[in-house]
Amino acid sequence: MSSIRDRLTSSPEPEPEDSAPGFAEHDTRSAGGSGAAESDPVAVSHHGANADTKRAELAVSGLFLLAALGAVGFIATYIAWPFKYGESGYQYYTPMLGITMTLALVGVGAGAVLWAKTLMIDEETVQERHHLNSDPEDRAGAAAVLKQGAEESGLMKHPILRRSFLLSQAALAVLPIPLLFGLGHFQHKERALAKTGWKKGSRLLDELGRPVKMGDLDVGGVKSVFPDVPGGRRMADSAALLIRMRPDQLKTTKNRENWVVEGHIVYSVICTHLGCPVKLYEQQTHHLFCPCHQSTFDAANGAKVLFGPAARNLPQLAITVDADGYFVARDDFYEPVGPSYWERKPSYKEPTYDGTAL
Amino acid sequence: MATTKTPKQNPAVGTAIWVDDRLGSSNFLKRSLNKVFPDHWSFMLGEVALYSFIVLLLSGTYLSLFFDGSSREVIYNGSYTPLKGIPMSAAYASTLDISFDVRGGLIMRQIHHWAALLFMASIVVHLMRVYFTGAFRKPRELNWLLGVGLLTLGLVEGFAGYSLPDDLLSGTGVRIAASIALSIPVIGTWAQFLVFGGEYPGGHIIERLYPIHILLVPGIILALIGAHLALVWYQKHTQFAGPGRTEHNVVGSKVYPAYSAKAGGFFFLVFAVMAALGGLAQINPIWLYGPYDPSQVTAGSQPDWYIGFLDGSTRLMPNWELRALGHTFSPNVMVPTVVLPGILFTLLALYPFLEAKLTGDKGYHNILDRPRDKPVRTALGTMSITFYLVLLLAGGNDIIASIFHLSINEITYTLRAALFILPPIAYVVTKRFCLSLQRADDDLLHHGIESGTIRRLPSGEFVEETFGVPYVYTTLLATTEERREAIEHQHHEPVTAVRARSHGKGFFRARGRVIEESAEEPPQLETTTD
Repeated sequence: MSSIRDRLTSSPEPEPEDSAPGFAEHDTRSAGGSGAAESDPVAVSHHGANADTKRAELAVSGLFLLAALGAVGFIATYIAWPFKYGESGYQYYTPMLGITMTLALVGVGAGAVLWAKTLMIDEETVQERHHLNSDPEDRAGAAAVLKQGAEESGLMKHPILRRSFLLSQAALAVLPIPLLFGLGHFQHKERALAKTGWKKGSRLLDELGRPVKMGDLDVGGVKSVFPDVPGGRRMADSAALLIRMRPDQLKTTKNRENWVVEGHIVYSVICTHLGCPVKLYEQQTHHLFCPCHQSTFDAANGAKVLFGPAARNLPQLAITVDADGYFVARDDFYEPVGPSYWERKPSYKEPTYDGTAL
Repeated sequence: MATTKTPKQNPAVGTAIWVDDRLGSSNFLKRSLNKVFPDHWSFMLGEVALYSFIVLLLSGTYLSLFFDGSSREVIYNGSYTPLKGIPMSAAYASTLDISFDVRGGLIMRQIHHWAALLFMASIVVHLMRVYFTGAFRKPRELNWLLGVGLLTLGLVEGFAGYSLPDDLLSGTGVRIAASIALSIPVIGTWAQFLVFGGEYPGGHIIERLYPIHILLVPGIILALIGAHLALVWYQKHTQFAGPGRTEHNVVGSKVYPAYSAKAGGFFFLVFAVMAALGGLAQINPIWLYGPYDPSQVTAGSQPDWYIGFLDGSTRLMPNWELRALGHTFSPNVMVPTVVLPGILFTLLALYPFLEAKLTGDKGYHNILDRPRDKPVRTALGTMSITFYLVLLLAGGNDIIASIFHLSINEITYTLRAALFILPPIAYVVTKRFCLSLQRADDDLLHHGIESGTIRRLPSGEFVEETFGVPYVYTTLLATTEERREAIEHQHHEPVTAVRARSHGKGFFRARGRVIEESAEEPPQLETTTD
């Protein structure tokens, strides 16, 4: 070890410029590499070199031994240490594997590097670079071959052949495109994007599938709601949030007075920016906050955008109360929920949309 | 390698002869083992990327034996009790199994994740090294393009792998990716339906990302890495200026044995770092996030670091959206997620060609630049890094807000301004620094080292005494043709003298003397051009 440190720390004084070319004359550095003594290789003490070599050999072997021990430790841990969640000591299983594996790898790695640095002869060598560009004759030759081949193929001589060949290539390039269409169900694409699981008269179900009725929610409370249709809980575009505030806090939009029920209002939680669920509700300010890109919406005022990259309000779901006192949707959302897309229209009306609330 | 068999061979020689009898490989073997590689600590950065990729292949193969890349719904019944009985995708359940029921599965998962982070980090740092030292110049533009391709594929590969466990965090990322696809004009909805199989979530995305992540993209990456290394091998590595180093030679160690031993040892050391991280530093604890549910999200949702700059640009973008001609345009989504990376990566790929065009430099370059000697390039580099760092910081604006109790709105407004103000400042400051450092170098070369002694001449004139800079140090500055000429002029000897000793100044630079391999005259300094 000491010999490396010497070589690193005792960077010798730069030689006077005249002496620089004198080196290649003697090239007898011993394998022990007591490199500090370059200026006079003869002065390398054989005794010192041997001691250095021996020390280095021991250090390298020690590291290789450590690697073997690490590997044995890894295998022992792997087999014997409890690893199942909940077993006592299981939480140390992965760290123990990590430590033993690291020892094995460090042993091999550091051993090899140290070996190379202390025991191997590593001299600076000069190698000439070859020219990357070819001789002019070779270039001319290659160009000639290219030209001759093009002529021999007849591609230049027969224009019809050339054009039909290009056509065949273009046709082959187009061929896989229909295959791509097999990857998606594009039928009713726009309808799928515009519609959600909500239907006229769908009850609002909570996360456990129970219908929500008036009185379930205190003022200031919120509840995730889902449409009462099969699989509604998992529908990516249908998740909504029922919020209750004091009726006087709620600014109802014109023509939407009957979309809310006594301070209960429902918004889509699918962010109009990139589709994250906007569910962080700040009770005092009535702000809805999206944790993905920080768009902030004012739930008390039509979920208007207050801040962030979202451009549009969260769509509001028109609700009412059915005969049993449960909240139901008056219809699907009036506009497509979620992020924007090329074909998106500000409102989506199907022939069947009866526009109860409009 | 002798072609005739001698009775007592060592096994390696025996094998080489056996192969040579069939492939005639001895000449190739000899040349390869004697190939010279220059040494510098910064040349290891690309090695780290390569070694991380090997670790990714090894750990990833192991994981693929247990992972079920399917979005089929299952009820979890593994040993992690908090999630027992909960419906989830088979992908998420099998990731839980790898973490809790497969012996050594968790460490493999964590090594894989850490290796991915390290892979991307080392690629980026390697890219910076290549950029700032001008290693991309002719004849190495092709390798630059391969490198940019690897960086891009690394992003895709990382994102695909990050998405596979189908946990709440990664599912949110996939949701965002789907929305970004939707924002593209004309083809957006088609593209999203095509990739996801229908309206989001579509039910196919895990099944599709899986072969992309374990076969398609890694296959291409492997091929590109092969080409990248082959070009380094064939064109020979660049080197910094130094004693005996010219545009026409390589000064360094032979591949065999010391260089290979060091490089091989270094692989195990890199692997060891990942094993230590994988064993001791928790990463992506998906069991804490829970299975993906489109109606759920956690506060502080962050992608892996290499996607962070795009998340940051998305957060900083103002909410511009317009409707025209019956269609919806979403610059608030498109600009930061599609247009910006498109421009950045195009500029990155074209940089070597743009620089060559603007500087009119058509020569070959094998001696690396010192960043200070190319002030404009270096300033452009720090400018770009500043731009990138502002975006990266913006990607964590919510974390910054909660740690430092700051207003998220004010942080966002500040970073919006910083994105346009800081990069030009970085440009100007860097350029001034470079010019000053250059002047200091020139001063050192022409004026010498100050001795602190003032001599008074018999005439009464005061002069300052200086030492000449030792030859070996001046050669380190010989990065330009003018400098080389000036140094030669000063020292009355060609810089091409190959017998100077190189002075070790660091762990990987301690070595013996230069020996002369080529008996020919040192080549002329004029750069070859075609």
